[in-house]
Amino acid sequence: MHTLRQISALMRLSLFDLYRRKDLVVVALLAVVLLVPLSFATPFGVKGASRYLNEIALLLVWIFVLVISMTRTARIIPTEVESRTIYPLLAKPASRTVILFGRYAGVLLASLSVLFLFYFLYALINNLKSAFFPWEVFLQAFFLHAGFIILVTSLALLGSLYFNPDANLSVMGILVVSMFLYGQQLPALAAEHALPIRTLIHTFYWLAPHCELFDMRTRLIHHWPAVPWSVCCMAFLYALIYAALCFWAAAGLFNRKKI
Amino acid sequence: MSAVITIDHVSKAYGTCQAVSDLTLSLNSGEILGFLGANGAGKTTTIKMLLGFFAPDNGQIAVYGQNPSDAATRQRVGYMPETAYYYPYLNIHELLSFYGGLCGMSADLIHQRSEELIARTGLEHAGKRLLKTYSKGMLQRAGIAQALLHDPDLLILDEPFTGLDPLARIQLRDLILDLKTKGKTILFSSHELSEAELMCDRVAIMKAGKLVLDKPVKEVVCDNNTNLERIFLNVLQSS
Repeated sequence: MHTLRQISALMRLSLFDLYRRKDLVVVALLAVVLLVPLSFATPFGVKGASRYLNEIALLLVWIFVLVISMTRTARIIPTEVESRTIYPLLAKPASRTVILFGRYAGVLLASLSVLFLFYFLYALINNLKSAFFPWEVFLQAFFLHAGFIILVTSLALLGSLYFNPDANLSVMGILVVSMFLYGQQLPALAAEHALPIRTLIHTFYWLAPHCELFDMRTRLIHHWPAVPWSVCCMAFLYALIYAALCFWAAAGLFNRKKI
Repeated sequence: MSAVITIDHVSKAYGTCQAVSDLTLSLNSGEILGFLGANGAGKTTTIKMLLGFFAPDNGQIAVYGQNPSDAATRQRVGYMPETAYYYPYLNIHELLSFYGGLCGMSADLIHQRSEELIARTGLEHAGKRLLKTYSKGMLQRAGIAQALLHDPDLLILDEPFTGLDPLARIQLRDLILDLKTKGKTILFSSHELSEAELMCDRVAIMKAGKLVLDKPVKEVVCDNNTNLERIFLNVLQSS
């Protein structure tokens, strides 16, 4: 009960931060700007071409949600230290692990609420626009996107205890985008090399976050069939385990950090 | 009287700079200790070790006989930092609600204690204003309120009089003396020697990381037939 109250207080702080700094207004405006015009437009009067604009809109949603969630997570602890709010915080009877978890969970909840806002608007617009909307694929896309956010924010949290915020965002951003684009090609690349390098590539393949597992945009845009829910759950479980390991490492670092 | 704080041969260095050197000091229950010294004397470093922010390089620190880095130990400790940095996007009610939650207090208790402390620190008129609009003195008062919120037995106040106007200073002095009558133990670091002389049972003076004087105030002042300010200057110049 005591720990739950502490976590709840820390999570509320992140939501206050999001609300009071007018970030939600910016996100809402961004969602409208990205989704509304693109989804209603019919380029060159060609029927079906709007799907490609939808694809661009979803790509932009992915990029913005990634940027928002990673920047917020990467700055949790550095901002507390820079603004010195960390001192009264650490003086309270809460362990450092609870403080880190509560603040992280709050930022994660804020990021997921931003994601929900984008997907809600996307569903609303597409429902208004066409008679058919692939609800099952849409729910799977949202579910996996949430898993992706959990994965990348945990990486950003871990990085924030090693690097300064700018270096952290650069390193983690490059890692996430690289894995998105080239993650699936790593085994083939490993096969082309001799032993020491092959082992290195394989090790990286197994350690790096497999962001490509969470992308359902193509299925959603082109109305392809849904994947089995068991596969989605496995991918989500992978994200949870990866995030738990990153949090465990981050808590270890935070507990040893000299403030 | 039982020892609330025990500092035993503690040293702490930041790289090549020796911030605290072989410090031995204790604070008994119900006492007010004025922790004095020039800037860079090692007061804040000692306070940070007392709060478990980091461990000493050598020696032992115990608060109520426990390791200060244990969260449970801090349940009995209230801390007001040197400079009042709080979340600028919260108002005082939200700030106290947040810190109350961190202390594991129930919503009802937080509400009751918040109202009491906001009134006591004279912040009722600014209850709905965000902290970013507060003056330095108001932030200090918010800091006092958050330190007292969970009714701690030990209060550690780092430069509590900084930025307070004369009236607020008198109110804070009265508040500290009132807490003493309720049996609270108080350690405060300060450059305000007149306040220390008025309030403290004992003063400890630090110089360049070392403890150069640790005596009851009455003894220090009566023995030398002068005021604390003069003693402070003499001690710093002679040692």
